[in-house]
Amino acid sequence: MAKSIAQEFTKGLWEEIPPFRLVLGLCPVLAVTKTVENGIGMGLATTFVLVCSNILVSSLRKVIPGKVRIACFIIIIATFVTVVELVMQAFTYPLFLKLGIFIPLIVVNCVVLGRSEAFAFKNGVVRSLADGLGIGIGFTLALAALGAVRELFGNGTLTIWETPIQIFGPAFQPFTFMVEAPGAFICLGLMLCLMNLVSSK
Amino acid sequence: MREMIKMIVVLTVLSSFSGGLLAAVRNKTIDRIEVQQLTFVKGPAIQAILEGASNDPIVDRFKLEYEGGEASFFVGVFNGEPAKIAFESAGKGFGGEIGLMVGVDIKADKIIGVGVTTHSETPGVGSKAQTDPSFTKQFQDMDLMSTFQVKTDGGQIDIITGATITSRGVAIGVTQAGALYKSLKPQIEAKLKEFK
Amino acid sequence: MNSQKKLIVSHAPFLHIGSGITERNLHIIYAALPALLLGGLFRFGIPAIGVVCLSVSTAMLWELLMNRAMKRPVSVGDGNAALIGLLLAMLLPATAPWWLVITGTFVAIVIGKQIFGGIGGNAFNPVALSVAILMVSWKDYFDFNGMLMNYDPDFIMAYPLATLKNFGVSGIEQYSISDFLLGRQSGGIGATFGIGLLLGGAYLIMRGFIRWEISIAYLAGVFVTALLFNLTDPTRYADPFFHIFTGYTLIGAFFLATEDSSSPVNFIPMLIYGAAGGLMTILIRNIGAYIDGTVLAILVINLINPLLDKIRPKAMGKVV
Repeated sequence: MAKSIAQEFTKGLWEEIPPFRLVLGLCPVLAVTKTVENGIGMGLATTFVLVCSNILVSSLRKVIPGKVRIACFIIIIATFVTVVELVMQAFTYPLFLKLGIFIPLIVVNCVVLGRSEAFAFKNGVVRSLADGLGIGIGFTLALAALGAVRELFGNGTLTIWETPIQIFGPAFQPFTFMVEAPGAFICLGLMLCLMNLVSSK
Repeated sequence: MREMIKMIVVLTVLSSFSGGLLAAVRNKTIDRIEVQQLTFVKGPAIQAILEGASNDPIVDRFKLEYEGGEASFFVGVFNGEPAKIAFESAGKGFGGEIGLMVGVDIKADKIIGVGVTTHSETPGVGSKAQTDPSFTKQFQDMDLMSTFQVKTDGGQIDIITGATITSRGVAIGVTQAGALYKSLKPQIEAKLKEFK
Repeated sequence: MNSQKKLIVSHAPFLHIGSGITERNLHIIYAALPALLLGGLFRFGIPAIGVVCLSVSTAMLWELLMNRAMKRPVSVGDGNAALIGLLLAMLLPATAPWWLVITGTFVAIVIGKQIFGGIGGNAFNPVALSVAILMVSWKDYFDFNGMLMNYDPDFIMAYPLATLKNFGVSGIEQYSISDFLLGRQSGGIGATFGIGLLLGGAYLIMRGFIRWEISIAYLAGVFVTALLFNLTDPTRYADPFFHIFTGYTLIGAFFLATEDSSSPVNFIPMLIYGAAGGLMTILIRNIGAYIDGTVLAILVINLINPLLDKIRPKAMGKVV
């Protein structure tokens, strides 16, 4: 049953990739994936919080009393989220403006609290680090993939870093529905469906 | 009882650790954040208003205190003289506060430009105050000391179609900017003299 | 005790009455033909034929591909995909570009129908869903004035509902109801010919393929709501007949709102369903931002359909 550390890391990339397998953390998945850049930025911010909170929670797991563990998790997570918010404001302000309210909302992201509760509180520091990193990178990949599909069809571009790259050329008529909120739901549904189709084989 | 004390101790220690960390990060980043905010939020409006200035208005800024607050003034140097300044004001719009940047020619007390910096107006309707320059252009060359009102209220400003409240908010914001400018003018002039 | 037989079931073989999914779809297609042929293809010519052919064929192709991908029996033969393609084409302008048609059928068949498990499982009318999504994405291609600019027939080619929205009631005085009935108006390929749609609807109702309750309640909802608006301020709101014979109203009443799996089955729910659709249509046209609210109104009533299905007759002998 015991997985190796490498397995703990890789499970987040496919087996338990958060939005598609655990169907957790959908708020940022739906809200900020209008462009690839937003998706990656949001994913990296979440990864940072996930890794830091996992490390801290697992190293303190002997100290934290069971009855107030959720309160402790929230304090730890909220601290790191605020750190991320301040750092993003200081260094990548345009991205911060685009992500807006969704950065502070990482606090209530089920993925982060879920990993603390379900994994880090029961496992060692190195294991938790691998888990946090894997899940975080999986989350980033999922967001980037969704962002890529939505941006490609909704806008005809791909924005990896600041400047959008035109993919379809000027004759393309953007399918704006994809960058609207209902488009996010339908796109996520189709991707979930595709994942199940691929893995059921 | 022991468990109770343990809970309290752990929570207290965690909270103070968290507070300490956040204070440290905030101290390290506060200056950078201010510069970033000025460059990205107000920067475009300032640049548009003080176009052609030979200095960087965001670097050459000063603060003045007035009753109930503090205002930043951005100086634009034209022909070697700090002739124009831009400063902030705000008016209440349809979806909350509309942040404005008002540029003034010091000598003539005339508006050289008005730009919307932050707003939460309806996209496509009220947001035109920011995106459609023909609305804010109306303020150009008007006397800042006068009172601005939209035409529906018997004033001189054409409204944006469908966005009376937004237009009214901008007009009120510019009027307030005039009042602020009037009350602070001596200090502004003093500061500008130092600037030379 | 109660040994009296209520229903007698005899042995096989049974006689089939000839009604099935294929027949239903086929007859709905027949019913749509007068409006399509006389109103659309005759009026708009070659481009319209192109749109219809492309729409029907790609709809069937998507259906086939989805059948393959989902490893289900091929259901192209039941005609439902062809019907969806046909109805979609009837709502599009004659000059719709090829990619608009293909995206439209993709949305209708894949997202509107197959994702929900194929025929009978869709929560929304696939055609209405598709047109709504296309309308949100490419507003310009649903602007009939711009799209049909190159047609110069002997009647007024300005889209009536757009004229109403832009110029008010004084703008629509130039139109006459008889023109609308004879298909002498601008609009979607199959949505202009009033008499054709009425005939098709009457045929479907008489053969029992659609329920008269929904269509009549829908038209009544449009009529009453428009009449109320008209009575409050005749200078701002058009008269009810104008609303019934323009835009997608008739095709909506007979072909879209009555779609099987997204409409209710009992008497009272059908009346509420239809009337709510008519009400929403007029509300969107008179107050909302869109020029024609029919497809959006139909999506809204599709949404309340499961709730309406809760209103049902008490089961026999059941004591509450």
